[in-house]
Amino acid sequence: MNFAFSEEQDQLRDVVRRFVEEKSSEEEVRRLMDTEVGYDPNVWAQMANELGLQSLHIPEEFGGQGFSFVELAIVFEEQGRRLLCSPYFATVALATNAILNAGTTDEKAALLPGIASGETIATLAFTEPNGRWDADGITMVAREDGGGWVLDGTKMFVIDGNNADLIVVAARTAGTSGEAGISFFTVAGDAQGLTRTALATMDQTRKQSKLEFAGVKATPLGAAGQGWSALSKTLDQAAVCLSNEMAGGAQFVLDMSVEYAKVRVQFGRPIGSFQAIKHKCADMLLEVESAKSAAYYSAWAAGEDNEELPVVASLSKAYCSDAYFHATAENIQIHGGIGFTWEHPAHLYFKRAKSSEILLGDATYHRELLAQRIGI
Amino acid sequence: MNVVVCVKQIPDPAVPGELTSDNRLKRDGAKAILDESDSYGVEMALQLVDKAGSGEVILVSMAPNGEVSGLRQALAMGAARAILISDDALAGADALTTSKVIAKAVERAGGVDLVLAATESSDGYTGTVPAQVAELLGWPSLTFAKHVEIADGKVTIQRQTENGYDVVAASLPAVVSVTAGVVEPRYPSFKGIMAAKSKPLDQVTAADLGLNSISAGQSIVSVDAAPARQAGEKVEDDGTAFERIVTYLEELKVI
Repeated sequence: MNFAFSEEQDQLRDVVRRFVEEKSSEEEVRRLMDTEVGYDPNVWAQMANELGLQSLHIPEEFGGQGFSFVELAIVFEEQGRRLLCSPYFATVALATNAILNAGTTDEKAALLPGIASGETIATLAFTEPNGRWDADGITMVAREDGGGWVLDGTKMFVIDGNNADLIVVAARTAGTSGEAGISFFTVAGDAQGLTRTALATMDQTRKQSKLEFAGVKATPLGAAGQGWSALSKTLDQAAVCLSNEMAGGAQFVLDMSVEYAKVRVQFGRPIGSFQAIKHKCADMLLEVESAKSAAYYSAWAAGEDNEELPVVASLSKAYCSDAYFHATAENIQIHGGIGFTWEHPAHLYFKRAKSSEILLGDATYHRELLAQRIGI
Repeated sequence: MNVVVCVKQIPDPAVPGELTSDNRLKRDGAKAILDESDSYGVEMALQLVDKAGSGEVILVSMAPNGEVSGLRQALAMGAARAILISDDALAGADALTTSKVIAKAVERAGGVDLVLAATESSDGYTGTVPAQVAELLGWPSLTFAKHVEIADGKVTIQRQTENGYDVVAASLPAVVSVTAGVVEPRYPSFKGIMAAKSKPLDQVTAADLGLNSISAGQSIVSVDAAPARQAGEKVEDDGTAFERIVTYLEELKVI
């Protein structure tokens, strides 16, 4: 087991950092926040064509590069530092993993090359108006109709739901409950009977949608009724990706705080010399370092695809959620008055931290899940 | 079509530079990076070879201590192989010595149709190496290219001038220096980064190139700090200040 990044992985980090610094300046983030689609198609194309980010962990036989979650984690961490506005999380962390976990070889061969090439933006429609992240939260019923499948009902908080060309939907067969009877389906973004409504979100850097299905014809993905284990694994893998994204954001706001504490002078000395500020920064550092350790460990477990994954995914999601939110809140305090203004970037990170905290289940939910998973 | 790109591996500009006891830039500290101004040449070369449909991009670099991290960056972008000249005898080499080494390395590369270089390096700024390499090779030298085209054994460039550009052509083989911004250098993929590790890297000394009695050719006598910036001119606006601003910008040839 080697916990240090390789030289090549460090180079990947350098390249992605250079890319997001250039393409996702604060100005650009603010511009995209105000647009309906919320991302730049040219940047998306460059991510696919040059850096090959969408194809990073897709196996080579399906048009990808065949690397692991460790490389993916580096990409998410770097994107998190600069709040890159992009359907990357929805496409890669959610939809791609769902297809990889649930799909048959033929289905993967049909769906993944488009994602790998950047042509297909995809997402996973899982949560419903009840806001639950567990199996019981899925109430949408899929019914057989004339040899095909039809979906009715509403999916909520679907990340990049309006941007997706391909929507992976989790639904259940009538008369089932809990983890039994859950199946995956795929639906085209412009399918007949599907109404997509953009939601007003507090975190404008990540778009969400309400998807209303009225007799939408859907294609099954994977074995009918056997979808829960694949979905559960997908959510764990997505939690790993999100943890790394949050760790990157947390490190960035810590750096921002320390930098400001060194230059902002009050009562004739830099505010960083005051104990109250020092303590805040020291606490942030402790939490950020621990968050990174947890996030990296979870990426390793996801990359190895070992039995530790469910436990460490919940552990790192819980820890990183708390650490990121705390860091962004303290960052505002350390910046004082300017930190509360719209013009300062502090609130962008604060809101991203809040939305990420809730996404895939908050820290309390994951601590409960962790307790169950380690059998206490 | 085989294109050599001269790339310099320079100390990271983000890290404050230090001088050695004989007034040279310390190059054995932090990891070197690919000079950003050379990344345009690499991208241009990749595009030209791609367009030609055959051939390869070969990197030539002179650096101390067998430094390869900057070369790896360019190999990750897609260059096929590299020749690295690393030799203690070349420490502190002046522009002409550097040019002699690079010209020999171009000959070693073999079958070269075009040599691309940046107009100047970001650490040395002499800006004379491309023309000297051309002279030593006996090839035409085209400079300050903001656009490069290859057709029928000829290279045609748009040569950046103060007012626009001149169209200049020469027969191949030739040496062309390209300006920054001529193309947008591509970002390498992780696959490219991984592949760079196993691409051929030919590390040689000056003697291997047949340059037996070579020396730095210069010594640096003293180094002074750059003069502090002078205070600007203050103009009281009596309604005609804009004229003074326009004149000033014209003097700078900005407008």
